Amino acid sequence: MRGYRSAIYEKQESRAAFLFILPAFVLLAVFIFYPMLHALVISFQNYNLIAAEHHFNGIANYRKLFSDETFGASLWHSFYFTLVVLPVQTAISLGLALLVQKKFRGVGFFRTVYFVPVAVSFAVASTIFRLIYNKDYGMLNAVLKGIGLPALDFLSNPDISMLGIIVLCIWRAMGFVMVIFLAGLNNIPDSLYEAAHVDGANAVQRFFLVTLPLLKRTMAFVVIITTMDALKIFIPIYITTSGGPAGSTSTVVHFIYETAFKQMNMGYAAAAAFLFFFLVLIISIVQLRVFRTDVEY
Amino acid sequence: MNRAVLLPLRWLVLILAAVVSLFPIYWMVMSSFRTHEEIFKYTTLSKELFLPVHWTLDNYREIFLDPSKPFGRYIVNTLIVAIVVTAAGLVVNSMAAFAFAKLKFRFKRGLLAFFLSSLVIPYEVIMIPQYLLMRDFGWINDYRALIIPQIVWVFGIFMLIQFFSDVPRDILDAARMDGASWARIYAVIVLPTAVPAIITLGIMTFLNQWDSFLWPLVVINEEKKQVIQVAISSFQSLRGISWGKIMAATTISSVPILAVFLLLQRYYVQGITMSGVKG
Repeated sequence: MRGYRSAIYEKQESRAAFLFILPAFVLLAVFIFYPMLHALVISFQNYNLIAAEHHFNGIANYRKLFSDETFGASLWHSFYFTLVVLPVQTAISLGLALLVQKKFRGVGFFRTVYFVPVAVSFAVASTIFRLIYNKDYGMLNAVLKGIGLPALDFLSNPDISMLGIIVLCIWRAMGFVMVIFLAGLNNIPDSLYEAAHVDGANAVQRFFLVTLPLLKRTMAFVVIITTMDALKIFIPIYITTSGGPAGSTSTVVHFIYETAFKQMNMGYAAAAAFLFFFLVLIISIVQLRVFRTDVEY
Repeated sequence: MNRAVLLPLRWLVLILAAVVSLFPIYWMVMSSFRTHEEIFKYTTLSKELFLPVHWTLDNYREIFLDPSKPFGRYIVNTLIVAIVVTAAGLVVNSMAAFAFAKLKFRFKRGLLAFFLSSLVIPYEVIMIPQYLLMRDFGWINDYRALIIPQIVWVFGIFMLIQFFSDVPRDILDAARMDGASWARIYAVIVLPTAVPAIITLGIMTFLNQWDSFLWPLVVINEEKKQVIQVAISSFQSLRGISWGKIMAATTISSVPILAVFLLLQRYYVQGITMSGVKG
């Protein structure tokens, strides 16, 4: 009797579980996995919405990408952006986290203040910085002129326009990364610092010999998500410079957006997106391997 | 270096970082209270550069009264989308998370792996076919395009699974013996224990939707149906619109969010921390 009942219970449980999962499963299949497969198919097609035709053309899209200078340049801009943002943002965020890690009067205030930019949307942040950077009446140039430096045209000078975007992105993200570091720092047991102290390690040695090695897992997480987000940068580009001046800030996602939704060339854009996806995937895997850690505490 | 140097230095950095964090927001709010002329007028280091001379609310009045760019409408549009996605997302994602965390069934590991594998798919790749799908469904310029594909969020499911795992299975079995259905157990026992997690996920979903930009830019072309972030960016391409008005629009779109965010930041921080440390 008991066995019979539990068999019924198990069957009911299985059925209930499938019903609980069903809505999420259907949505995932229709809106994530089907489009993923479809993207792969489209990337092998000459698919243009304006010409209203699509036919199979093998690897022509991929072959064209490898010789497309605009795509190459956009790829380089994404990587350049990431190569600057990753170390600078990580260092600043870790610095902020160390500053507000220990309790002192007003620590809550500073933690909150550093975190505030996270709540500002990318579109709004980009808009504000566009005003601040303005050549003629922007605040930044007013200050530069005020202290006797030459005015800079942050968003229309190809040499420095990417730097302007980098600063705005770091401003918006540093509080977010700081919070992740704070959580990581709090996981390091005090006893280790005390032991290091007893052994005569000074603050700098404690940072490099205790904090940094034990922060490896948090660091891995930060590096991987920062890289992924940085490589995919789009909104500030679209709003502040639209990829200009002279294409000097066009990133991969901006290239994909322009190709797909301005030129309506879906096949080519899908191929670019796929190629980019594999690059990001490879980079993430390499980073995971580099950061693989056996440290337990 | 001795402490006498280090301590003031530390405070200097603390305060400097705070100023950098807040300054752009301060600048936005102050510019929204300036007249059109004033923004162009004061371009040297002076008190007038940092504080409006003639405070005005005209920018706020004008953005709401301009019929060609109905700002109130954009706010309502965005609120509808964000609230529906958040509510539906919480139900759908928590149901799936409950099953994965607490129920026993066949193919559980396979299904979970299937779900989690979607985390590596970047949105940028599926954006194009998603757009084509919306076209086939006839959902271009339709809120269904903004809402339905956004409901399922595997990251959210993953986060809730970790929370639900802490609920002891014994309690669920006891309720089952007493004749409660699984639906009832989920609604009456499991969900209430995870209220902090639900709030965390709710805030994150709502903020994501409020900030959403690229997808609405692609699927909504009709002026009246646009959401707030895209509308703000389109203000800037208009000729003759003043920065004062743009800053009034950005202030309205971000200050209420900032307020809510500050009140509930504990939950938001918890969400980030969980994803970072446990994940």
